[in-house]
Amino acid sequence: MSNSYAANFYDGLTSKPQEAAVRLREPGSLEVEVGEERFFWPLEHGGMEWERTATTLRITFGEHPRRVLIVREPLFIKSFVTSMQYAGRRGVYDRTLSLARQGPALFFIALVAIVVVGYVWLLPFTAERLALLLPTQVDERIGDASYSSIMLGLDEDTTASAILQRFGDRLALSEKFDLRFHYVNSDQVNAFAMPGGDIVVFSGIVQGMDRPEQLAALLAHEATHVDERHSTRMIVRQMAGYLFLSLLVGDVNAVVAVLAENVDNMRNMSYSRGLETDADQHGMERMAAAGVEPEGMVQLLELLEREAADMPEELAFLSSHPLTEHRIENAREIAQRMETPTGTDPELEQLFRDLKRKDNVDP
Amino acid sequence: MELITPRKHLGFTGQGGDLFAVLIVNWLLTFITLGLYYPWAKARRLQYMYEHSELDSHPFHFHGTGKEMFKGFIKAVGLFVVIYVVFFGLMMTKELWAMVTGYLFFMAAFIGLIPLVIHGSYRYRMSRSSWRGIHFGYRGKLKELYGICIRDGLLTLITFGIYGAWFQMNLRNYVIGNIRFGNSQFAYKGDGLDFFLMNLKGYILSIFTLGIYTFWWQRDIFAYYINNLSWNFSDGRRIQFKSTATGGGFFELIIVNFFLVVFTFGIGLAWAHVRMMKFVMENIEMAGDADLDAIVQTELEHKSAAADELGDLLDVDIFL
Repeated sequence: MSNSYAANFYDGLTSKPQEAAVRLREPGSLEVEVGEERFFWPLEHGGMEWERTATTLRITFGEHPRRVLIVREPLFIKSFVTSMQYAGRRGVYDRTLSLARQGPALFFIALVAIVVVGYVWLLPFTAERLALLLPTQVDERIGDASYSSIMLGLDEDTTASAILQRFGDRLALSEKFDLRFHYVNSDQVNAFAMPGGDIVVFSGIVQGMDRPEQLAALLAHEATHVDERHSTRMIVRQMAGYLFLSLLVGDVNAVVAVLAENVDNMRNMSYSRGLETDADQHGMERMAAAGVEPEGMVQLLELLEREAADMPEELAFLSSHPLTEHRIENAREIAQRMETPTGTDPELEQLFRDLKRKDNVDP
Repeated sequence: MELITPRKHLGFTGQGGDLFAVLIVNWLLTFITLGLYYPWAKARRLQYMYEHSELDSHPFHFHGTGKEMFKGFIKAVGLFVVIYVVFFGLMMTKELWAMVTGYLFFMAAFIGLIPLVIHGSYRYRMSRSSWRGIHFGYRGKLKELYGICIRDGLLTLITFGIYGAWFQMNLRNYVIGNIRFGNSQFAYKGDGLDFFLMNLKGYILSIFTLGIYTFWWQRDIFAYYINNLSWNFSDGRRIQFKSTATGGGFFELIIVNFFLVVFTFGIGLAWAHVRMMKFVMENIEMAGDADLDAIVQTELEHKSAAADELGDLLDVDIFL
């Protein structure tokens, strides 16, 4: 027979605390003695609930108004909790909590490690898979939604666009999407691709070119963004990153939230730089497949680097396309490794000349 | 030898490290369940806070469970979804009248829900709180609460916010006046004008002292909340609450807590929380000869947590 321990008992009828004695009885019940009275509470009873803190155990029993026992004897708490565990009434929560209480620092470090691993590897991996599962129509919808508002402020030259379209079509740059090329009159040295297939080229960039291979490289680079669905992948990654971080810092203060957001932005920027290198590399493969010298990409990047020197920094092309030596170096290496087709396709040459002539006539 | 009965007092026995363990496990489980664990986490946190709050060395208890809060959470989310669907539905039409209607509906829905949130939250939280086995309860009427909110809300609007002080006091008087604890009950006697003048003084002095007076303003607000609170027993005896908090005390509490949270990137939140609870509890004095053993159970159970969860989603701080 086990020892009995002192406890506080509330009968649920008044606030008067009463002295009680509790003991665990075999098989599986709790004996409570209050004054002259004696109750037996079966441990497996549905009306039996218990909770413990660092120093107290609270057992409640029955329907509302429930009877309450508060015990502060460590020995009793230990044996009670053990017998409840045998009764199979200990959840994941209690297990995790006792782990956290045993070694808070270690538990915390392990958690941080899990979060970092999740953020650095698991999250991007999942987001990429998820993005590629989306049908290509999603890209077209996103592109359509932004196309008209972006083109609103731009002066498109439809005749030049038609020439550019023939130039692009001849290169056959994308299998998944119908590429639509737009030629816009502007001094900006810029070009961009929208998801779903609209590619916008500014006259300012074409003016600086002297070979059709450079234009082919530009279109191949932008077509890679479209074909490899870089925008959609970026959006899904950003959304996943945002979701992850808002779950992570949910209840914590605003300072941490801002900090986390900036970390995420930095990660996104590094990803977008990665996408540029990716577009260079795959663009060159597309060029080679279309019978154009991949060397054109190197020349294009060199042209942009020269232009960058006397361009204000905030221009779009420059800020989203960091023209590092590294990028040029990278393109040069790839070009050397590839089997280079020689000679220029006369039709591309002709179209390129047409486009340049337009520029000279119409400044 | 004389037998000394201990003075009635409040206290908080929680410890930072212990609360940290609770919060970190909550956080972990909420995180890996993509937020679905939130109601359980909330229940665990409240249980911890109640269990470590004591009156006369007897702990309070929170009876709410994750399960019932989860049900409330789902209902609250459902209501939110309906409001947003109607709003965006009307906005998508791109018709002017529909968009105006949508906007008005949206504003009205959120403002109109606030009294419901206050009412439901009090009913739920009070019913699920107990001390020595006796439950609290809230007996306010939703209709009366709407009456106060609509009347005072409009008056606040047309007085450019000045009437807000009276609004707050009327609300507090009503809500706290309807809190029962067994057969005893609470009362709050706040006056709009006093409250307004106190805040006006605090506001002006804070400006002239470049914000330093804020801590003393905070002391005055706290004192106004506590000193007007009383607890009345069925035999006519009562307990009067009194604040002993000082401006210097608030200064130390707020500054230290700020550094505790910011310089640890939020890890120190648990310790900051414990410091705050201790400060609040230890700065409330209770005077009166009422017999704390003589309270009789009277309140029924109310298990719907929908309004409480709705309050969380709306970010309404219901505890006045």
